Formats: sequence, structure tokens, C-alpha cells
Amino acid sequence: MAKVTDMVLWDKPGEKVLLLGNQAIARGALEANIAVYAAYPGTPSSELTDTMAVVAKRAGVYMEYSTNEKVAFETALAAAWSGLRAMTAMKHVGLNVAADTFLSSVGMGVEGGFVIMVADDPSMWSSQNEQDTRVYAKFANVPVLEPSDPHEAKEMTKYAFELSEKFKHFVILRTTTRTSHARGDVILGELPEEIKQAKRKFGKFNKDPSRFVDVPSNARRFHPIVLEKIEKIREELNACPFNWIEGDENAKVGIIAPGLSYAYVKEALHWLGVENVKILKLGTPFPVPYGLLEKFMDGLEKVLIVEELEPVVEEQVKTWAYDRGLRIPIHGKDLVPRVYEMTTRRAVTAIAKFLGLETPLNYEKLDEKYKKALEIVPPRPPSLCPACPHRNSFFAIKKATHSKGIYPSDIGCYTLGLLPPLNAVDTTVAMGGSIGIAHGLEIAQHGSLSEEQRKKEKKIVVATIGDSTFYHTGLPALANAIYNRSNVLVVVLDNLVTAMTGDQPNPSTGQTPHGMGKRIPIEDVAKAMGADFVAVVDPYDIKATYETIKKALEVEGVSVVVSRQVCALYRIGQMRKRGEKWPIYYVDEEACTGCRLCVNAYGCPAIFWDEEKKQARVEPTMCWGCGGCAQICPFGAFKPVEEGEE
Amino acid sequence: MKEYNIVITGVGGQGVLTAANILGWAALHAGHKVRMGEVHGMSQRFGSVVSYVRFGEEVYGSMVPEGKGDVILAFEPVEALRYINYLKEGGMVVVNTKPIVPVQVSMGKARYPELEEIKRIVEEDFKGKWIGFNAEELAMKAGHVVTTNTVLIGALTQVPEFPLDAEHVREVIRLSVPPKAVDMNMKAFDLGIEAAKKILGL
Ligand code: SF4
Ligand code: SF4
Repeated sequence: MAKVTDMVLWDKPGEKVLLLGNQAIARGALEANIAVYAAYPGTPSSELTDTMAVVAKRAGVYMEYSTNEKVAFETALAAAWSGLRAMTAMKHVGLNVAADTFLSSVGMGVEGGFVIMVADDPSMWSSQNEQDTRVYAKFANVPVLEPSDPHEAKEMTKYAFELSEKFKHFVILRTTTRTSHARGDVILGELPEEIKQAKRKFGKFNKDPSRFVDVPSNARRFHPIVLEKIEKIREELNACPFNWIEGDENAKVGIIAPGLSYAYVKEALHWLGVENVKILKLGTPFPVPYGLLEKFMDGLEKVLIVEELEPVVEEQVKTWAYDRGLRIPIHGKDLVPRVYEMTTRRAVTAIAKFLGLETPLNYEKLDEKYKKALEIVPPRPPSLCPACPHRNSFFAIKKATHSKGIYPSDIGCYTLGLLPPLNAVDTTVAMGGSIGIAHGLEIAQHGSLSEEQRKKEKKIVVATIGDSTFYHTGLPALANAIYNRSNVLVVVLDNLVTAMTGDQPNPSTGQTPHGMGKRIPIEDVAKAMGADFVAVVDPYDIKATYETIKKALEVEGVSVVVSRQVCALYRIGQMRKRGEKWPIYYVDEEACTGCRLCVNAYGCPAIFWDEEKKQARVEPTMCWGCGGCAQICPFGAFKPVEEGEE
Repeated sequence: MKEYNIVITGVGGQGVLTAANILGWAALHAGHKVRMGEVHGMSQRFGSVVSYVRFGEEVYGSMVPEGKGDVILAFEPVEALRYINYLKEGGMVVVNTKPIVPVQVSMGKARYPELEEIKRIVEEDFKGKWIGFNAEELAMKAGHVVTTNTVLIGALTQVPEFPLDAEHVREVIRLSVPPKAVDMNMKAFDLGIEAAKKILGL
């Protein structure tokens, strides 16, 4: 089995391979002769960027991990202005970060094809909200292509570049978790010569201030241009190869299935054994091509729109029908839930109701049995890894503040510090939000207190933020807190990678996928900004970390403590590769008094409680040898086994 | 065969994704249409994980629908129960009986059920069949715990009417593990086959 990243570059047209949706998109971009790729990682979009990182050099593509989505967007946009094919990718909430540039620049259009891949996360498997990117697209008047399987994702990517170039307009390629993280058979297409020869492409920017400067006098011209473009694109999409009508031509009932919902609808119909329906498969939920819609609606007596999340297609279809005086029942969100992801069950239930059929399975009975079964299943939320340096930082913060502080945190692995036993996360909102929230909390808690009261009732506010997040959007918030003379402690949990999304590099390490970039130490930035106290600690030394935090808390003003230790998962991965060993800890039964501090306050997942012996126990296959347990145990019960093992 | 649905469950870090990949490739090589689904990101850090492998002539979405799973391959006993809603009546649960106790249990905030209780729910309430054995022990016998997933895949190939050829699956494993781990994995695969055969009385 070849490495996936090699397969993405295989010069074997016609070969069938098993690819992740995101990898298929990377292949599609290469087949489309992409020149520039820039993105900030975010689940479920990350593997697209990671794949590009590995293949870029070998394909002559410029690729970067940008510090946030807005910067990535601008990098790729400028390349597209210069006539190159360019792409950026992000998760749905990433588009919020890029939104300012996105909405302001859409009127300027592009020269080379510009594709914005946005991965939505219905049901929020690893996200803070459930927004539907198609609503953004409608807002910005940008067409959306939405694949229904990995092979189509690849083909659509190529088409997206062509469509973008033809209309000199942005194109959004929208996936969901279930397309980005679906694997399926993908048939490889031709690679362009330039990609095969790893030839870097260069563009040319033709100055045109009337187009590229959005002063009001210019911007006023843009909006009508965009509206005109989107209607032309609506026309064009009548012939889009990813939109079609299928099923029974003479059927009286029709189902409209955009994007991935198509797969669920097909499966549901198959399961229900229903054949006499007409299906409109829509690869372009916005704009809905009206010509094709008209053809589809011809002769129908009722219609169901099976779409995930917001009624984006439903509203377009209903508006169209109303304007034409078409008065047939059009169902959608009355039968299909508006929250959480589409499933076959949801499609089956909606279609059965729509057609007046029984569902093939008695779901109520199933739910009842299942609920009963779950009663004895203990919860198993994700946790910080064994040896995770964040655990120690949180432990030290809690101890230094006597668990009485307010702890705004941010988006990353460390958000898991929310769970017991650490309980060290009180708020998380969005990337980079912890410092801004901390500042606001500090003002709100102490704003109207007198000097004296303040001394008595002072609430300590400790913000935690990761290294990548710090560079993402933490910087302006830190500047704001320092400038406004806030009184907060910011602990930067610097594990030298963007761990949650798969160990991507960032400015704190200075590493790039193609070698060394330039390293920017966080403490230097904090000092330069004028923080009142700046220190660097190694969280593997819990005592030193605790003492530094104590000291920082005594300082009036903004303190920044950089808690630096490489991500444990990453470190162990590297050590395994090099065949290195690490010490494994065990519990000395003589020493352990059964106080439970290690499970009740520290919570390394390698430490278990032995009910019979009433003592702690270390699972040797899970211990990654950080020695944290040995430092926090008041009785010195944790000890390293002499000879480490792999 | 129209479709065959496998639901693989376990704890993040146990190799659920690797197992799914091996089965997916084996199905692809056997000429099937393949769809697989998984969740990345936050959901992996020692939390509960699930992965779906579907193949056959008519497979659409990447997730197995509830009540349509032919097999649940569980790397950990309570994880079998957590996704038991996917099992079809008469479906098979192949399970590694070695528990990984969640932190909540260690903290005394939740209880870990008896294996017998789990088995009873699978067999009685969900009308499922049960192949349970300590796969980790067999993996150690083969040479290393990391081969636990190979042991389980070996057992999976013995499920009655399992549509992929065991030797075919073995070949994919051989090609996907590092060269120095091939022998160990081949042994683990055989131990899995044997364990399943014994339980099934083959
Ligand atoms: S803290 Fe130390 S003494 Fe207390 S239970 Fe844990 S290992 Fe035993
Ligand atoms: S040394 Fe202790 S704290 Fe560190 S991973 Fe091992 S058991 Fe966990």
C-alpha cells in the first residue's frame, strides 16, 4: 500500500485509489494545475492542507500554513489576482475570521481561478458552532459547489477552478465532516505537465486601482457587478455536470437533494423500495439553476427538499415557485430537522412521512432499547494525553490561585482542561478569544469596586491560550489588554505545534513544511508589546511553574507566562520513529496511601484506580514517562521503572 | 452482495482508523465500491471513537445507518455497547474483552459494567451474536500490544458470510505494516482467526 501522499501525486490516470475526501480535493487541485495554496488548519479541513504541505514541493506549488484564515485568504487572493490558480481552505468558523476580506474583495473578482474550500461541521463533532457556509455564500453572492462523495469532490475541485476563471469570480467548495472525512474510491485523472515536472508557476499583477482599491467610489460599482455575475452563473449552472435530474420522468412527486444529502436520499429510497419519484441532484445549492429547476418541477404535484442545516435551497425554490405562481406543496424544514447532521435515518423518516409510508425500522423501539443500554455505559470524553504538558500548567494555575480564579481559555487541545478533574476552563468562545474575554472579565469584576474592596474581593483572571492561537488572533487582544492597563495573567501554553489539528508548525517553532522559516519567540513579542511581567517556564517542572505563576499573579498589569514544552503526542511519535525509549512509571504499593489526589486532581489517563487495593495504578502501555505524577504525589509513590520500554 | 456494513469502535489511540483502512483497501482490491467514515480532531484524544466501513454494489453515505450494521468490531467492551444502535438483528459483535476504564470511573463518578451485562444486552435486547475474547493478550503473545487490531481483524474474517477473503485481508496487512513488523502481525492475524474459530465451534 503506497503512502497516501504519494498516491495524490501518482501519474497513473485511470487508477482507482481509496482517498479521504480532503485528499481527493488536494488531488483535484493538482489536476487543475494549482499554483498557490495557503491555509490555517481547522478540523474538518486540515488534511487538505496537510496533504498539500507534503506534496507542494514535489508539484511546484507554493504552499504555506498561514497564521490565520484571513491572512491565508489574502495570500491566495493576491495570487489569483496575479493570474494564478490559487486556493485557500478553512473550517466553517474560519470563514468568520476571513469574512472581512472575503466580503470586501468579492466585487474585485479574480484573474486566475480562486477556490475557497470551506468544511462545515454539522453536529459539531469538533467545533464551537454549527453555521452553514451556504448562507455566507448567499450573503456574498458567491457560488457554492458541494460534493456528494470523494470522487465527485476531486472532479468538482477542477470544475471550481474553471468556473471561477470563466466568471472571474470567487467559488466556494463546501464540504461537511462527512465528505471531508469520508473515504471512497477515487479514479485518478491526468496531471498537468507543470505539476509533473514540479515547475513553479509565476503570475503577473496588472495594476488597476479602480478595481483593487475599495474606496467607496469604487466599491459602489462592485455590488451591481457581483449581482450580475451571480445571475449569469445561475444560468451557467443549468449545464453544470454535477447537477442532474434522475429517476422516474413521469413521477408526480419529486425530491431535491443537494450535496451529500443526495447520498442519503438515494440510500433511503433504496431502503424504502420507492421508485416512482423524480430526483433533482444538486451539486450547486447556491445559486439554484432555475432552468433545471423548471424542467424538474414540470408535472410534479409535490416536492420535498432534503437538505442539511439551513433551508438555503428551500428558500430559493419557494421564491422561484411563488414568482411563477406555482402552487404545489413544497416541503423541507417541516420534515427535515434544521439542526445537526443529515443521516440515512433522517432521510428515511422524512421521505416516509412525505409519501405516507412506514419506516422500514421501528425507530422508537430501537431508541428505547438503546437508551436502556446506554444507562450502563460510562462516559468517555476525550482527554488531555498522558504526559501532556497542559495538564501540568493547569494544575499549577489551579494551585497558585487556590482554584478561586476565573479561567477563560481558548480553542485547542487545552480546551479539554475543562473536564474533571482539572476544571480549569470557564469560557471558550473563538480562536484568540481568551485574552479579550479575560480583559473584559477583569473590567467587569473590578470596574466599580473601590480600591479597598478591590483588594478584598479581587477575582484573579487567568487566560490560557495556545501558541498557534496566540499568533492566530491572540496578538491584537494582547495589545489591547496591555494598552488599556488590564490586570490579567495570560499563560501561553506553548507546545510548539498546532496539536489539535494534527501537529502543524507555527511561528513559535519557526519550522515550515519545507524547512526552517524564522522563529518568533512568544516572550519576545510579549516584551515588545510592553507586558508588565514576562517569564518562560517548563511545565514538566511543576514546582517551578507554580512558583512563576505565583510571582506573576503579584504583578499589577498584564503578565505573560510562556509555559513551553513540546506536545507529548508529537514527542512520542518522534521518539517511536527514532526507536527511542522513555521511562515508564509505576506505583509503589508500600508508599501509596490511597489519597486519590492523582486521580481526583491531576487526571493523567494512564493512572487508574484499583478498587480492590484502593490504590492508584499506572497502565504501562499508556504511560509516556513525563514524571508529572511523581511530582504531584505527596507520598512519592510514583517511581520510574528502571529500564524503559517502547 | 448489495452492501456490507462494519462499525469499528474503540478508544482513541487503539488503532481503530488503521483497522478501518485495512478493511477498506481489502474491499477496494476485491472490486467493491467502498465508503468509509470517521471523525477527526477533538474526538481522538483517548475519547470514544467510531469508524464505518461500507462496501458492496450499492453503498452511498459514509456512515452506517442505525440498525444496519452487519458487524460491530469493538476494541473495548463498553465501546461495543455505546454504538450498539448500529447493529442489525442477528448481526455480530466481535469484541476485545480487555476493558479500558474511563477516568470518570477511576474518579468514582461512574461505574464500569460487568462483561456479562454487556453481553446480555447485545444478545437479548439487540438479538446480536457475540465473539468475545481478550485480543490484547493474544497480541502480546504475537509480540506486541500494537497488533491488537490485527488480532481482531483476523477474528472478523471468520464471521459467517464475511464477504472478504481472509487471505486477501492478510495480504493488505502485510503490505501496510512496517517490514520488521510483518511476521508479528501475521502471527497476530492467525491467533485472531484461531480464537474466533474456537468460539464459533469451527
Ligand atoms: S497521590 Fe500518591 S499516595 Fe495518593 S493515591 Fe495517588 S499515588 Fe497514592
Ligand atoms: S509519568 Fe505519570 S503522569 Fe506522566 S504519563 Fe506516566 S503515568 Fe502519566
